[in-house]
Amino acid sequence: MNRDLAKTMALAGLGGAAFLCVPLVANSGVVFLAGLVAINIVFALSWNLLFAGAGLLSFGHSMFLAAGAYTMAKFSLSAPEVPFLLTLVLAALSGGVLAWVFGFVALRRASGTYFAILTLAFSALVHIVITKTDALGRADGLVGIRRPEIGVGSLRLSLDGDMYYVFIVLSMTLAALALWCFTHSPTGRLLQAIKQDRLRTSFLGANVRRWQLLAFCVSGVFAALAGAVMAPWSQIVSPEIAHWSMSTMPILYALLGGTSRFWGPALGAILFGMLDYGTRNMLGLADMTSGILLLVVVLAVPGGILGLLLRVGRTREEAKG
Amino acid sequence: MTDAPILEAKALCKSYGLVQVLHDVELSIAPGESRVVIGPNGAGKTTLFKCLSGEVPSDKGVISLEGREITGLRGWRRVQMGIGRTFQVARIFPEMTARENMTVAVEMRDRLARGTARRLFSLAPAAELRAEVDELMSELDLAAAADRPARILAHGDKKRLELAMSLALRPTLVMLDEPTAGMSPADRADAVAMIARLRDTHGLTLLLTEHDMEVVFGLATRLTVLHQGRIIADGAPADVRADPNVREVYLGHD
Repeated sequence: MNRDLAKTMALAGLGGAAFLCVPLVANSGVVFLAGLVAINIVFALSWNLLFAGAGLLSFGHSMFLAAGAYTMAKFSLSAPEVPFLLTLVLAALSGGVLAWVFGFVALRRASGTYFAILTLAFSALVHIVITKTDALGRADGLVGIRRPEIGVGSLRLSLDGDMYYVFIVLSMTLAALALWCFTHSPTGRLLQAIKQDRLRTSFLGANVRRWQLLAFCVSGVFAALAGAVMAPWSQIVSPEIAHWSMSTMPILYALLGGTSRFWGPALGAILFGMLDYGTRNMLGLADMTSGILLLVVVLAVPGGILGLLLRVGRTREEAKG
Repeated sequence: MTDAPILEAKALCKSYGLVQVLHDVELSIAPGESRVVIGPNGAGKTTLFKCLSGEVPSDKGVISLEGREITGLRGWRRVQMGIGRTFQVARIFPEMTARENMTVAVEMRDRLARGTARRLFSLAPAAELRAEVDELMSELDLAAAADRPARILAHGDKKRLELAMSLALRPTLVMLDEPTAGMSPADRADAVAMIARLRDTHGLTLLLTEHDMEVVFGLATRLTVLHQGRIIADGAPADVRADPNVREVYLGHD
């Protein structure tokens, strides 16, 4: 097996194991937050797949999160007989379909900043449609989403309480690994080439728009998967999840942790979760601290926290050697 | 009876706004030919290249490749049909190593040969692709630079890397836009020798633009002179060199 892949699997395994230890040492409030952080990691990685991986800036990633969450919630409430894992696949695909429809139009017409603005506009449209649709609970959203059961035949496992937390950690670890594999595949390399020199790549015979559309769909699938896993965890899905402010979250995580390293956004999501927890009782102050922290990181450490750590590590090694 | 032309342009016109850059350009390149397009700065050489390769659409006229019309096709389609191209300032992927640059090109060729789906998720490049990368890199004298980031490569290495990437696609026609621009005279001679060698071993048809007359007469089997967007001479190098019109507008003062 590929050595980088083995290292990455070890790293992801360690990270997953650390997350699994949280319920042993912390109260249920912290466990709930840790579950959200695990989900946010995949959400942020899916955003960075576009930004660092393919040179596409999305300001509207909340629409995919919402697509997954609402699909999951709707099935759970209206068609609970559909197996959970099938629902999960359908919910993830809903993000891919939404990405394809939007990307098909937007990538044809725009690139760079214009593309980013179009993603923002399109996700605002999705938000409005949700708040006006009766079947999606309008402004109230969908409530009472049950924790699911998985299994075959009479062998059933109820994913209640901490069991669902375990499911979140395992599924998000696998999703993160899948994203890593995609990024390091020949397709990922080609998308990186497009990011670095679009014209050169097209003169290697690549239909640049089609590859970018593929990247957009893959990113949409994983963001929607994150949303789908989130719905039974919070047990409520409200239009807030489609709001533009939700689209800023993966950008904040990625900038905080560092966009140029694959795991940067994951570290950013974890740090942000900790910060959130640390400032939970200081109303209003929480937003300000995260804003100030982000400003400091972006201005002082453009590579993000992970970039900084790696640089410090390298300098030390050089000093030793 | 001569062979059907590899590339043919008929009555090609191109304007940028009110400025007409190409006037009814006629070009016919036979298989195995090394055609060099020369002309003073601003003659329209680069625009001609852009139109022929599909980087910009032409306004009027017909372009065909091996008898198939390609006028309305985009650049990437023309590459898939057998046109390779390099740029005046070498375009490579700056943040990748030279080997990764080559890998992107070789994988692209492999993808086009096999269809996309099979290779979407495979991890390390297959051993045969790696061998193909290594072979091309040693053929173009890039082995020493393989693991360095492309952005810090020497000028000549960048040029050769770009050419190697184009060749990885196994083109029938290679278009080189000033392949020796910015090189020292010694490097130029090496570059000419290498291009000639590649042309012979790969059976390439070449279309070049070039300023340096030693390179021009070192490589050209046929010359086309462009002046103010019109072709003023077209023929064997010796004939073109003797053409009084050409001497006046271009070769000028000797």
